[in-house]
Amino acid sequence: MNLNEYFDFVLSRTEDMYNIVQNEGHGSFWLVFLIGIAFGAIIQYSRVDKFEKIAGFAMGKDTIVPKMLFLAIGITSIVLYFEIKFGYASYHVKPMILSGLIIGGILFGIGMAIMGKCPGTGPISIAEGRIDVAVGAIGGLFAGWIFTKYYDLIFKYIMGSSYGKETLVDVAGASATKWVLIYGVALILIAIVIPKMEMFDEGDIEKLDENERPDIKAAKENEKFEVVK
Amino acid sequence: MTRRLSWWMGGILMSLLLLFTFAVFGADRPIGASTYVPYYAGILFGMDPKDYTYLQEIEKPGAWEGVMLLGSLVGGLITSIFITKTFRISVIPAGWKAYKNNSVKSRLKWSFFSGFLLILGARLAGGCTSGHFLSGMSQTAFSSMIFGGVVLVTLLVTGKLFYKKNEEL
Repeated sequence: MNLNEYFDFVLSRTEDMYNIVQNEGHGSFWLVFLIGIAFGAIIQYSRVDKFEKIAGFAMGKDTIVPKMLFLAIGITSIVLYFEIKFGYASYHVKPMILSGLIIGGILFGIGMAIMGKCPGTGPISIAEGRIDVAVGAIGGLFAGWIFTKYYDLIFKYIMGSSYGKETLVDVAGASATKWVLIYGVALILIAIVIPKMEMFDEGDIEKLDENERPDIKAAKENEKFEVVK
Repeated sequence: MTRRLSWWMGGILMSLLLLFTFAVFGADRPIGASTYVPYYAGILFGMDPKDYTYLQEIEKPGAWEGVMLLGSLVGGLITSIFITKTFRISVIPAGWKAYKNNSVKSRLKWSFFSGFLLILGARLAGGCTSGHFLSGMSQTAFSSMIFGGVVLVTLLVTGKLFYKKNEEL
């Protein structure tokens, strides 16, 4: 492939991307784009795309990520259950590929602790100007390339076979409503009970007015926090 | 105006976005944010989907997430400039300086390596924080609970071993 052909290839594949989304029936191009904007804005505005939030959680010095994550899952699990029950949505469950989940989970956890990002929050912090994360994204693209290239030869076998797509709702059967409520409420309670701890990046808050600074607010409310420079 | 959302406000808004995305009047599918990586890798490395079964498998979810990713870049850029005022070019995170080291070379080397692990892991498991944690655990899926448990433990163990205990002033 010469440079001209490569350029054509990239353009036509990008056009394909637009057409697939537009015709797939999972929202128009613009709706999906808007969902992306909302996703990026919520994560950035909550500051959970920060190294200090994700790696800080790994170090045991920041708990905003688990608090927000468990709360979101707790609320969504309860409402989604009824949303599906009344026919406004459906299940899209990922298969239990045991060795893939465990080996993948271990690699993912190590990567997440060192990078201080995950695949969803990474691009958002690149948009905020983080060069190190852009380098991480190049590493990620190489992983995507290798995974695609050797999928049939190696990775498919590491992932193993699926043990089905069971959910708590399937297993609970007739008492599913009760169990989903217990599950959801338990997650919400976990989110509330986890003690609030924060690690702030000085560069993030120095431009704010006194009354806007989260570290001053945290000090007033006697919360555990530290500021790193 | 508040310059950052509280964890509970962020959690509630994320929940509403998930519920909308799942709904038939929304996108009728879960949110995911790691399939786009091999999808874009396929485009950038000039890989023709005809030759790769994996690209054929992810053709549709990859495109969907690819578009969502473009949106999230725009969303993050807008809020970082106008609301949180945190847009700036930086190479080493402050937390890395305090608990690891002050070397650009070290941070970039580890970034590349950890970015690689992150995507390889996500693709082996079939999802990431968004697809497994947020979307999967909300559907009470056992696959996502297994992934969530493994990630949580590995994350905390790595954090303990990889970083220095106390800030060296």
